[in-house]
Amino acid sequence: MTNDNKRCVITGLGMICAIGNNVDECWDSALRSVSGIAHTKTVDTVNCYADYAAEVHCDELDGPDTNNMDRVSKLCIKAASEAMSDAGLPKFNGDPRCSVIIGSCVGGVVSIEKYYTEAKKPEYIKQMPISAIASQVAGAVNAGGVVTNVANACAAGTISIAYASDLIRDGKADIVVAGGADAFASVPYAGFISLHALSSDPCSPFNHSSGLTLGEGAGIVIVESYEHAKARGAKMYCEVLGSGISSDAHHITAPRPDGAGQMSAICRALSNSGVTESDIGYVNAHGTGTAKNDEAEFLSLHTIFDGKNKDLSVSSTKALTGHCLGAAGAIEAVFAIKALTQNVVPPTVGYSPEDIKALADKAGDIDFCPNKPRSKQLNTVMNNSFAFGGNNASIIFGKNKGDVRVQDKKSNVYITGIGAVTPLGNGVERYIEVCTNDEKITEQSARSSVASDDYDSVGLKMAFYRKLDRFSQLQAVSGMQALANAKYEITPGNASDIGIIVGTSEGALGPGCDFEIQIAERGNAAGSAFKFPNTVYNAAGGYLSICSGIRGYNVTVTNGAQSGLFSIAYATDVIRSGEEKAMLASGTDENSDIMDELYRGLGLVSDKAVALYGFDSQAFALSDGSVSLMLESEESAELRQADKFCRIAGLGSGHAGVSFGTLAGSGKALDAAVIAAIKDAGLSLDDIDAVIGFANGHETIDRIEVDSYYRVFGSAMNNIPIISVKERMGEGRASAAALGVAHGALLLHGDIKKENSAFAIDKVGKAKRKPLKCDGLKNILVTSFGAGGSYCAIVISKD
Amino acid sequence: MNELEIKQGLKDFLCSNLGIEADALEYDTPLFSEGIGLDSIDSLEIIAYVDSTYGVSMTGVGKEHFYNIESLTAYIVAHA
Repeated sequence: MTNDNKRCVITGLGMICAIGNNVDECWDSALRSVSGIAHTKTVDTVNCYADYAAEVHCDELDGPDTNNMDRVSKLCIKAASEAMSDAGLPKFNGDPRCSVIIGSCVGGVVSIEKYYTEAKKPEYIKQMPISAIASQVAGAVNAGGVVTNVANACAAGTISIAYASDLIRDGKADIVVAGGADAFASVPYAGFISLHALSSDPCSPFNHSSGLTLGEGAGIVIVESYEHAKARGAKMYCEVLGSGISSDAHHITAPRPDGAGQMSAICRALSNSGVTESDIGYVNAHGTGTAKNDEAEFLSLHTIFDGKNKDLSVSSTKALTGHCLGAAGAIEAVFAIKALTQNVVPPTVGYSPEDIKALADKAGDIDFCPNKPRSKQLNTVMNNSFAFGGNNASIIFGKNKGDVRVQDKKSNVYITGIGAVTPLGNGVERYIEVCTNDEKITEQSARSSVASDDYDSVGLKMAFYRKLDRFSQLQAVSGMQALANAKYEITPGNASDIGIIVGTSEGALGPGCDFEIQIAERGNAAGSAFKFPNTVYNAAGGYLSICSGIRGYNVTVTNGAQSGLFSIAYATDVIRSGEEKAMLASGTDENSDIMDELYRGLGLVSDKAVALYGFDSQAFALSDGSVSLMLESEESAELRQADKFCRIAGLGSGHAGVSFGTLAGSGKALDAAVIAAIKDAGLSLDDIDAVIGFANGHETIDRIEVDSYYRVFGSAMNNIPIISVKERMGEGRASAAALGVAHGALLLHGDIKKENSAFAIDKVGKAKRKPLKCDGLKNILVTSFGAGGSYCAIVISKD
Repeated sequence: MNELEIKQGLKDFLCSNLGIEADALEYDTPLFSEGIGLDSIDSLEIIAYVDSTYGVSMTGVGKEHFYNIESLTAYIVAHA
């Protein structure tokens, strides 16, 4: 049985979607079989073959605190406020034990549309990236712990709740505000039109399966440690048991027809929960209503449950709410929890008497609850989500505490491979050469490039890479390089033992804007089916799974530049927990004409060379790239006799809510992240030999960094060198953050012998270049920041 | 518009919109083969291009007409 100190419970619920503006309204509509799907009047439908959508109608979204936010954040904050109130929680007062994890697919897509169709205003730019959502929710609830967004398209909401419970079981949080949000807008509408994936009638999951209907909304659950909830006398809805996440390694939009990826996620969830197939009373299915999804899902459900469970109920609430993309998994988790606690299965609506007869043949022993809810004693329920990119997620909620798998002895984690795509060239050998020769970018807006030589070197063929947008191309090459550098061969036998975490600041924002530009000019009927799949942030991780064959864990996280460091911390935790033996952890961001315009629109791209720690600039050199690290458990690395660059020794995060897009005033969260990482490494402050920092020449950012180090290390900081990778490469955002760790690994491993880009900085900020001999380095601290006040710190050690 | 112009137009479209490298694409190169690797999403793009450029609908048309640039051209010429 799960020990009390590893139990997670749900103590609050919040929801908004087309069938209600709060949980009670939504649940009441569901039990009355009222669908929210109607003809849309909010987007251009000229020449479009389908015009149904399930939209939110709520006049309480706008308020003084949400004025400048995108619709997606307004929806999310509405649901989060309801959940906080339902849980009886006041604001968190910056508590580092309180976190926010939000899933989204298309993020600030309404702001993207406004920017290209109304006016090119800076305030729209700030609201575009998915990163804004969790940061703004964290501001609304004043959370001070881990804050990030999960950007795994239609599985994002489910993965967020899974990750929230992992954080709590790992002792990193007491309370997590978790869920997902997405708004309906032209980009997703025109995109699904282009793919011919929308139904011309209201969607009909597990029935006519003629396509999906888009929805919008947000779902939030308060995930809390059992002991914390008990101590404050909180109401407990249910337990969060285990979860499972997998990748198809098959196709960027279509699920594997054999359902293998879906089944892998479901089986992982069952196994991690310590329950069996017969324990599950209800599955809230992904059930989009597309033929490919429904066929694969029928097959998965029958294969797993037939013969083992004669009383299984399954429904798709998407026939009520539409497909709410990144919110779907979270909204459906709330429905699953309501079903569990009320002992009622919500219906799959839209069946005619003839449809019900036809269903009998396909359903077998499974009850799909056509049209009407069903009262039924429920003890354990499952929520499944399957996304673009071949990402699958399954999570289980129960009235009983289950037997959740917990890794008692945490493995050491080592870096065993490095891949790097940078503006100064690609591959780890080239990077070492760049450092040895002390080369630097000369432009103030620099770009990496990948060419046929790079693809050839990692075995990627034109038939594959031609489909990828540039962001995904950078990611695919660096990821494959890291595997090759580690000499790690993916085989059918180990494909599920390795996973992927991609961290990105702006992700697929460029392709999203590019798609919007096209439909703004030519109408929503003229979206490109080729380009649309690349507008989801997790396309890059999905493509990497396809080209490498990796079929394990696969998550894309986004919360500013620090995402490239956070991805390494997240991947380390996945290995430490025993969920995977190895992980590829990446930081990737692209610079393009679109990204250059957006950053210039915010006044952040310098027109002349900027001196780091010069404290005289409000801009920086913008660049891009992708850096991937192969991480392995000690056992895996030893078994393969892998060459270990260094050990990931300690991880820390912190958040101090400031307005999204700004950083001033948030420095104490960096202090907290640094102290937490050093503590997690089992080290003391004086064990740190060097810091690889995040200064980029922007006065505010550089000042926050230096002031924090002096607060944490005191006068000892006079003797701790600060090393910069951005002096050579510019502000590559997530790629620069991950490059910091790669650079540190190469220093500790002795591949970079002399460090010219190192500074000694005194307390007032006077910086002196101080070339560093590297042979005595043992422990290096790497830090990064995210606009909005999120920080990550990692300690790497030479063993 | 003559056949050669249609072929060149199709090739330009395939290279600039579907990421195919020009030196790997001849008029008789099989499009759905391993080398080029077009799939169902790409065929949606070709259908949209042919419809908007030549006013020829290829929705629901047999896959043999999508075999290569020559077969696409022949279909367009026959139905324009």
